[in-house]
Amino acid sequence: MKKVNAIFFFLLLFLNINIVLAENSQKIHIYDLWINEAPPTATVLVAYVVLKNNSKRLMTLNSVSCPLFSSIEIHRSIIKNDIASMERHSMLEIPSKSTIKLSPGDFHLMLFNPKIPLNTHDTPIFTFSFLDGTQIPVTATIRKRKDMTH
Amino acid sequence: MLTKLSNSKFLIPAMAFLVVLATGAGFYISLKQSQNRQERSEVSQGLFWPNPKQIKDFSSEDHNGNIFGSKQINGKWSFIFFGYTNCPDICPITMSVMVDVYRNLTTEFDDIQTIFVTVDPERDTKEKLSSYVNFFDKNFIGLNGEPENKNSLVRQIGIAYFSNKEKDNYLVDHSASIFVIDPKMRLIAKLSPPHQLEKIIDQFKNIKRFVDEKG
Ligand SMILES: [Cu+2]
Repeated sequence: MKKVNAIFFFLLLFLNINIVLAENSQKIHIYDLWINEAPPTATVLVAYVVLKNNSKRLMTLNSVSCPLFSSIEIHRSIIKNDIASMERHSMLEIPSKSTIKLSPGDFHLMLFNPKIPLNTHDTPIFTFSFLDGTQIPVTATIRKRKDMTH
Repeated sequence: MLTKLSNSKFLIPAMAFLVVLATGAGFYISLKQSQNRQERSEVSQGLFWPNPKQIKDFSSEDHNGNIFGSKQINGKWSFIFFGYTNCPDICPITMSVMVDVYRNLTTEFDDIQTIFVTVDPERDTKEKLSSYVNFFDKNFIGLNGEPENKNSLVRQIGIAYFSNKEKDNYLVDHSASIFVIDPKMRLIAKLSPPHQLEKIIDQFKNIKRFVDEKG
């Protein structure tokens, strides 16, 4: 009887996790996560992504992590009076029913100190964490440099 | 009395003549300036004319450890960008356009070169610089910014950059323009972002035609 109970408990837990994941992926859809191919000696890489908020509430992205990098920061590139600079954003707000696209020359994810040089066939998994506790794993692809300007 | 009279007699026309002369000269200068301005804008945005800066002799070392200086600039069209290898967004975007520009122009012209100058010489070692420029194109040249050398390209072109080196993973604010030096070692143009292949090719061809005509 105890055994059956335990199985039932795990089944329920499993179902529960699935329901939570399904709800999250409906609430916020994160796709097109890609890392720009860089020289093997690069100590800072960049990633771009699209975040779509399907929910009725504002969603605030407050951290992104991936075991392959020492840290990940949200940045925005700015060119003003011919001077290029980057500003760090501690969070990124995605208003209800809207889409935010991180793209070259604009908002991007800074990936510091890769532990291994990445190849185009690598598929690292990133975790996007939101202020309300929602966590979403997303698989990244590595794009060849040539694709950047197209 | 007579002299005084004759003086005043001549004074007014003389003054009037001077005024006409001055206005005429002023008019001529402003006409010349607006001609220059028009000429500049017709040729290309960012053209330095009629007084482009002459690049003085300098000597540096490229990413392979070979001597690279005014001798290597002389007789070529050089496209120069100032950045740093830890800049993963703006710099690779610009470098990618420079690759396209270089490959496009070298099918037609044989005196083109592309130079990447790092404004972060502390972190951008020769090895990093080499791996960086080779990643984009094997023919690209990587140079150390050498801010301490008063004849370095950074100092001669007058590139502004800023960083807070006390922080880990510090960032560097830097010029986003592409600079062009002509075969006579004159700083001929500053091409401002956003950088696009077609735009730069057009600008370059106009500048080259203009410079070939002017001598
Ligand atoms: Cu950044």
